[in-house]
Parts: sequence; structure tokens; C-alpha cells
Amino acid sequence: MNELKKIKTYLLSGVSYAIPFVASGGILIALSIAFVPMSAQGPDFSNSPIMKLILDIGTSAFKLLVPVLSGYIAFGMVNRPGLVPGLVGGVIANEIGAGFLGGIVSGLLAGYVVMVIKKIKFPKFLVPVMPILILPALSTLIVGFIMYKILGVPIKDLMNILSSWLSVMGTGNSVVLAIILGAMIAFDMGGPINKTAFFFAAAMIKEGHFNIMGACAAAICIPPLGLGLATITAKSLWSEQERDAGKAALGMGIIGITEGAIPFAAGDPIRVIPTIMLSSIIGAVIAMLGKVGDHAPHGGLIVLPVIDNKLNYVLAILVGSVTCALLINVLKKLKAKKNKNLEHIV
Amino acid sequence: MKIVAVTACPTGIAHTYMAAEQLTVTAKKLGIDIKVETQGAMGVENEITEEDLKEAKWVILAADIAIQDRERFKDINVIESSVQEAIKDPMRLFKKIQ
Repeated sequence: MNELKKIKTYLLSGVSYAIPFVASGGILIALSIAFVPMSAQGPDFSNSPIMKLILDIGTSAFKLLVPVLSGYIAFGMVNRPGLVPGLVGGVIANEIGAGFLGGIVSGLLAGYVVMVIKKIKFPKFLVPVMPILILPALSTLIVGFIMYKILGVPIKDLMNILSSWLSVMGTGNSVVLAIILGAMIAFDMGGPINKTAFFFAAAMIKEGHFNIMGACAAAICIPPLGLGLATITAKSLWSEQERDAGKAALGMGIIGITEGAIPFAAGDPIRVIPTIMLSSIIGAVIAMLGKVGDHAPHGGLIVLPVIDNKLNYVLAILVGSVTCALLINVLKKLKAKKNKNLEHIV
Repeated sequence: MKIVAVTACPTGIAHTYMAAEQLTVTAKKLGIDIKVETQGAMGVENEITEEDLKEAKWVILAADIAIQDRERFKDINVIESSVQEAIKDPMRLFKKIQ
């Protein structure tokens, strides 16, 4: 495997451990916000101590997000010795405001530092204490130093640039971003590319940019909803198995699980994947233009309570899903016709 | 012949299990005895035991992430692939076994 591909594997390992933290933090925070009155300064918790408690628990889970991401990137690279420098590097990244980019860097850094230290030949009497004393202390010292003194600040600046670009982003740029994210979300339906887009959007929630997740949230649920809708509206074009999958897909769409579209794409990728990509793009663009914000790192109708501009969100999902259903049924019909013609010739 | 396999994708709710199923189905077709361990969101399931490892000469690792306890397989032949490959074209992976 070449190095770039390896790095991708490392990053995805970290992401796979970090996702449950986004979910637990995001859902708890969203839940607490949903049940308190909204004021001009944001949600008002002054009269709801229980909701405030839930908010605090969710916030604690969120705080672990970057350390866990960083720690498990390193864990994926060098196994157990990577965990300590990776987690500590992630905590530092959080602390200096380098966010998830900082966590990615500190995780990779921790992994490489451990790799290098393991290669050093230490005197024989030190070898037994290597894994329990020297490796953890030395690797953490190096990673910590580099994060605090060398890489941390530039990454923080980069995050700020990204953040301010996202805040002042003009309509043109925001549409481009929505197109890219929509396409990525639909392309592999919950696979690595989908997770990359999702994780970027989820990380932006933490930075206070809810519109990125808003666009993704619409894109996430459109493939299963659209395909489910297609099986209901044109029964004859779909096998019994697919119609069953369609009902399941509708359910999964509502709760924001793009994976519901997989059975259809597995059977007919050439027609299904471009269709759902286009539909998710449409949904994401409408959501972006409609200033839809999503406070939870999740999509589908289930997040509606924590959506800003709810009407536009529903509109985005509706237009995307209907487009998807119409388009895929037309394509299926053309295919059926073509097959019939072929039979004729034979 | 007996082989073992491990599947693992980043989210660990769908692709991990789809790949495991494809490998199982394909092995059955070929008359190969296979045990597939899944490392999904619920953790390690259908774990490969030491006895399995003693009998197996090959392991298929269909993973997009770093798998847990990889050292187990240092003494047997390893075939590596992405999860996607195992779902789409599992036969090709089995062809690599001599």
C-alpha cells in the first residue's frame, strides 16, 4: 500500500471511533436545545435546569471528540503505544483552538513519533521499561511540544481562515460547497467518502457553522427517501425484494441513515448512484440557499426539532426526494423498454 | 480448506456486514470453509479463535480502517482489500488463494 492510501486508512480509523462521540454529544445538545425557548442570544436555559444538565453532558461528550479522533488515528497506526500521545495531542489541539484539523495532525504526528522512537536502539537495561515508561513519556513530550510550540498556532490560524471563509462565504461559493458535499454524501451512501463530508460538516457545528450540516442533513436522507418513494409510486418497475427494501429505506430516510439506499445501488449502480448524487446535490443546494441550519450531526426528518428554517429544510428534502424518484423511475422504464426491444430482436 | 477473514468499515453498521456476507456466500459456492470476523460499531463479533488460526492458511482482510489485533495473522498468508472490493467482486479475492 502506498503512503497516501495508508494515511486514509489511519484517518478513517480515527473517524470510526470518533463518530459515536459526535452522535452522543450532538443528540444530547440538540435535545436540550429543542426543549428550551429560543432567544436572540440563542437558546435560553435559565428556567430549565434539567435541559441545562443534558446540555452539559452533551458538551462533555463533544469535548472528547477531538482527543478521541487524534488518539485513535495514532492507535490505527501503531496500536496501543499511539493512544497516549494521540489523546494528549488531541486535548492540546482542543485547548489551543486548532479543532478537528489539529486533531488530525496531532494523531498522525503521534503515530509517526512512536514509529520513530521504536526504531531507536536504547541500552539493554532500558528495554523492559520502554513500553510502560519511556515510550509514553517521550512520545507525549515530543507531540505536546510540537503541538504547543510549532504546529498548533498555524493550524489554529488555518481553522480561523476556514471558519471566517465559511461565515462570509458568498452565495456562489456556498452553492459550490453544497454541490460538493451533496455529491460526496450520496456517492457511497455511508462509506468513507460520505463520512468525510459528514465529518467535515459535523466538525463545523462545533465551530458554529450550522448551515454546512444543514445542507448535508438534507443530502443524507434524500437517497433512501427518494428510492423508497420510487418503489411506491411505480411498483411494476421494482422486484418484490426491492419494494420491501423500499419500505425499509423510507424508514431509514426519516431517521437519516443513507445506508438505506445501498440495496438499490448494489443492484444497479450505473443508474442509481448518479441519480441519488444529483438529487442530494439539489437538496443540499436548496438547503444552503434557504439558510437551513442543523445543530445536530445527523440528517433526516428526525433532526427537525433542531433545524433552523424548518420549512426550507422540508422543501429541500421534498424536492430532492421527488426528483430522485421521478428520475430513477424514468431510467428504469427506459431500461425495461430496451430489454424488451432486445428480446424482440433475439 | 479453511480460511478466515476480517471485515471492517469506518461506520461499522452496513458495509462491514455486507462484505462479510459476500465473502461467506462466495466461499460456500467454492466449497471453502470460511469464518468471517466483523469489527463493526458493536465491536468484534464472530471472533476468530486460536483453533481457527491453527487450521487456516489464508486470511482475507477486507477493511477501510486499521483492524484490531492484526498481529494474529503474522504467520499466515494475508490477502488485503478494501471493503468495497469484497462486496463487489469477492471472487477475485478468492482467486488469489493458491
